[in-house]
Amino acid sequence: MSRPGRRGKAARSDTAAAYLMILPFFLFFAVFVLYPIFQNVLTSFTNYNLADKTYIGLANYARLFRDRAFLRSVGNTLAYAVFSVIPLMALGFAAALCVNRSSRLVTGVRAALMLPYAASMVSVSMIWLYLYDPASGFFNKMRAAVGLPASEWLFDPRLALPCLIAMNVWKNLGYVMILYLAALQGVPASLYDAARVDGAGFVRRTLHITLPAIRPVSFFLMATLLIECFKTFDPVRIMTGGGPINATTTIAHQIYLRAFSEFKMGYASAMSVVLFIIVFAVAIVNLATGGQLRDTEER
Amino acid sequence: MNGRAVRVLSAAALALLTAAALLPFAAMVSVSLQSMNQVYSPALSLIPRPVHYENYATALTNGSWPRYLANSLYVAVASTAISLFINAMTGYAFARIRFRFRRALFILVLAGMMIPPQVTLVPLFVLMKHFPLAGGNDILGVGGTGLVDTYMGLILPYAAGSFGVFMCRQFYTLFPRELDEAARIDGCSRFGTFVRIYLPLSRPALAALAVLKFTGAWNEYTWPLVMTNTGADRITTVQLALTRFQNEGEIFWNQLMAATLVSLCVVFAVFLAMQKHFVAGLLAGSVKE
Repeated sequence: MSRPGRRGKAARSDTAAAYLMILPFFLFFAVFVLYPIFQNVLTSFTNYNLADKTYIGLANYARLFRDRAFLRSVGNTLAYAVFSVIPLMALGFAAALCVNRSSRLVTGVRAALMLPYAASMVSVSMIWLYLYDPASGFFNKMRAAVGLPASEWLFDPRLALPCLIAMNVWKNLGYVMILYLAALQGVPASLYDAARVDGAGFVRRTLHITLPAIRPVSFFLMATLLIECFKTFDPVRIMTGGGPINATTTIAHQIYLRAFSEFKMGYASAMSVVLFIIVFAVAIVNLATGGQLRDTEER
Repeated sequence: MNGRAVRVLSAAALALLTAAALLPFAAMVSVSLQSMNQVYSPALSLIPRPVHYENYATALTNGSWPRYLANSLYVAVASTAISLFINAMTGYAFARIRFRFRRALFILVLAGMMIPPQVTLVPLFVLMKHFPLAGGNDILGVGGTGLVDTYMGLILPYAAGSFGVFMCRQFYTLFPRELDEAARIDGCSRFGTFVRIYLPLSRPALAALAVLKFTGAWNEYTWPLVMTNTGADRITTVQLALTRFQNEGEIFWNQLMAATLVSLCVVFAVFLAMQKHFVAGLLAGSVKE
């Protein structure tokens, strides 16, 4: 939209007003986001340990590839992300289909499914720490009730990561459901009417109309959930401490350990750069395929 | 599959999902009312008999819980209040004013939403520790503890969150441009237009944003963990206080679950009272077709 006659003086004062209005935010943004990122990259080339700070080139990065705990954490983080996102999206979509009608009961169900999402990761971790407790936990009581032997849950190196994944799926299911629900309600009813006339049943309508129509939301959810999972720290720190024998340590957890219990800030910064690159790769794909950037075009 | 089968299946699935969503919370409430002997008894039961209400008193006098709750409330309210106005004003400028580098700067805002907090964790901590002229630091930021262990250190980084800017901008682009034209003809400045016309019409968006920001700050764990490392009661938030129950050898599950329930009460009350706004906020952050 071009506006002749609004050029010149008015436009200049407009520009000044705009810069003044965005200034407070960008001040905070520069100090608390941009500067730390810049500083993080610089620090990753040093041996900074809160006292000494010497430039050591790429030594930190070279060390990452020989660091067993770090390599394990990358594998754990990816496994945690992939095996959380697949069931989350499948179950979340199924749940959205189920609650896609209006009644008092369904409104209550939606609220119930959203409760875990509203709760803090700390409180959720505490509750599940109890559920998983081998000696007194609810899950072993359930197993005993049907005659199964007690399980070690978080203390079993093979079960610990799946346990954290199960909790993550439980916690975030409501979020996936609510986004899919909004998407379902945006699909034009006329599409379904036409399919019904053609005699398409529920399964075919879902596969050929619903799923293609809500693809943008699926992409958005996949990217958002993956990024969220890549950042996982709270449950690891609270429930397992990364163990048993590094079975649940994540990249974010390794960063925290190196930086704040060993004070190897330089080394931790190199790990942060790796995490940053992984997350940004997913984010760029999301922005390129999703709608968030699309409507920043001039209108 | 015919319609009837689908309906029956969906009702069964709903019942199952609801039970799965609520069962852990039910177990929490149940354990919070049991004695440790009851907790360790192998019987599978969610009904505590007899009921031990005193767990709550014991748990909340383990440390200074009124102080923890007040700390969390203060940090959540203050960080929400500070960022709301700034976010809305920035969102208005991006939505309504044409200026150089608008697109590039907005992409920077979007990128800000993607950055994992762990990436800025280390340098942000160092920045806070060496914040000039704070906590005994001199102008070069040495000599004291800076903003570590202070409310300001907990609150300030929230003001740099980009999500609110993105959300407000999306919201304001839906407003008719005639509003700005009319205001300009009446001699209203850009800032005046924002404060007198846009801000009063922003209640739905700001309510949604406020709910998300409040619950986010209330639920935050990593930043307070790093920032308040002395563990002094004076500055401890609720989430950190919960983890204290793990420190003493045996975990007293009944007290831990009682404290967990207390910590959840605030955020559940906000969620249930403002559910519409909470959901609106989540949707505003996603794709629009």
